[in-house]
Amino acid sequence: MKRNCKLNSLWFTLLIVVLFAPLSVGAMEMDDCLGCHSDVDEVGDDLFIDGDKFLTTEHADMGCVTCHESVTDEHPDDGEAVFNADCLDCHEELGGQYMATEHSENATCSDCHNPHQVHGIEAVSGPDMNQQCGQCHEATDVMDSHAEWLPQASLHIAKLPCITCHTSAENYEIVLNITQKQKKSEGLKGYRFSSYADLKEYSGEKEIHRIIDIDGDNHISLAELRTFNRNPAYSDLHLSGTMVPSKVSHDLTTLDNRFDCTFCHASGPGSMQTSFLALPIEGGSYQRMTVDEGAMLDTLYGTPNFYMTGSTRSATLNIIGLIIICCGFIMPIGHGTLRFLTRKNRQH
Amino acid sequence: MADEHQDQIYLQPIPVRIWHWLNAFGIITLTVTSAQIRFPEYITWFGSYKSAIYLHNTAGFVVAISFSLWFFYYTFVVRTMANLYVPKVEDLKSGILRQVKFYFLTYFLGWENPHHPTPDSKFNPMQKSVYLAIMFVMMPLVSLSGILLTNVDPLRGLIVMIGGLKLLAGLHILLACCLIAFIPTHVYLATLGRTPTDHIKTMWTGWEDEEEHGEGHE
Repeated sequence: MKRNCKLNSLWFTLLIVVLFAPLSVGAMEMDDCLGCHSDVDEVGDDLFIDGDKFLTTEHADMGCVTCHESVTDEHPDDGEAVFNADCLDCHEELGGQYMATEHSENATCSDCHNPHQVHGIEAVSGPDMNQQCGQCHEATDVMDSHAEWLPQASLHIAKLPCITCHTSAENYEIVLNITQKQKKSEGLKGYRFSSYADLKEYSGEKEIHRIIDIDGDNHISLAELRTFNRNPAYSDLHLSGTMVPSKVSHDLTTLDNRFDCTFCHASGPGSMQTSFLALPIEGGSYQRMTVDEGAMLDTLYGTPNFYMTGSTRSATLNIIGLIIICCGFIMPIGHGTLRFLTRKNRQH
Repeated sequence: MADEHQDQIYLQPIPVRIWHWLNAFGIITLTVTSAQIRFPEYITWFGSYKSAIYLHNTAGFVVAISFSLWFFYYTFVVRTMANLYVPKVEDLKSGILRQVKFYFLTYFLGWENPHHPTPDSKFNPMQKSVYLAIMFVMMPLVSLSGILLTNVDPLRGLIVMIGGLKLLAGLHILLACCLIAFIPTHVYLATLGRTPTDHIKTMWTGWEDEEEHGEGHE
């Protein structure tokens, strides 16, 4: 009986080890990997992984060995080459689209997307999206080629991610980012995207989204947006709108309608009905918060520094303008009529 | 030459006439292009949206430069800016009222215009007041707002300081509507001369009949 009890205990221990060992090893591996790979002096630039950035990615949730499954406990002493997973193993659809483009002959996935820092489109700011393109496409070349035909080329390039036009994505949405005036004491001018730390200074004890999301329901109403815009305490903060594809496509074809200005510059285009507020989170990426559904243009009207010719025209302003112009005809019509009726008085 | 213009006064010198017609052409171009820029889904007079914008911007710069030349000419060359455009105390006290009374009452009774234009006093008190508002307030503001709107990216800091892009665009549009509203009034009042085309001819040739000054124009 005693022997059986001992045997059972042994089996039970073995069972525990078998069941939980892989998890504990995996968890340890993440720490072990970053223990060396987050120290640039130890592994060098090529193998360095910025732990803070990596841990905020969805790839981090999968653990290191998911992609580097050949790594053993003896790594790197075993001298074995480390296996890297193929991005297409998981990202088959996007990869397939990309492989059909000319870009694939010049750049691999990792040339544009650092797998240890990559985020989904919802967690990246507009300017950040352009960094990948900027690695090959010189800013001056981009500016020159666009300036040949595009009015306000610098404004378009500054405000839009390249993929707004250079992708076959059909639907778009507006992402609003909080920007802030740069400090003159640092010799900087203009506005830059506010970081989590910047906004924490404004929110104090509260979470940063409470700067705009006053009722804390994780949704921005138009009233909240307007309150934010009018609050003198936030006079250095501004909302900056960026138009981004709602669904990522890696087919980089430029559709014909992107050359038609009225794709965007027309009243209430379908591409501008949905909006989000992108809030920075610790680690450098962004978290989206919905803004009143179906009220994109109203949202833009509530954003003082967002105006798109033709798109965000105000119906009230149209009516006021029309009344003013009509007033200009009062004199010719009214005076002209009386002039005609009294013409005999001036026949001398 | 002297005989030809014996009974006429040289009211509008060449620089002023060039400025006037350049301005007129520019403002009309700005007006029609702005219609397509604001309502692109309804109006396609200039083909692509881009063409309308380029034409609008070009006309805007022409008008802004033309305004600067006008300002320079009257302020520094002939130095009659204050005399011509700024209403005097007498103008404000009774001149404007007298002129309003003429346009809206005594004109219909067949009375003569109380103001007789001369090169030193081309505008009646009412004209002075209107032109003061147009040339010294509206035109500079609409031009400056237009210049800012065509350079949003480099001048964003300044635009934000003013109150934001939306406010600036709204201001530009409302001022432009005021100036557009002035066009039919201006053209109509230009027909109130001895003959309907008298004042228009003056603005083309520079000469105005000295006798029968007729009615002034706005």
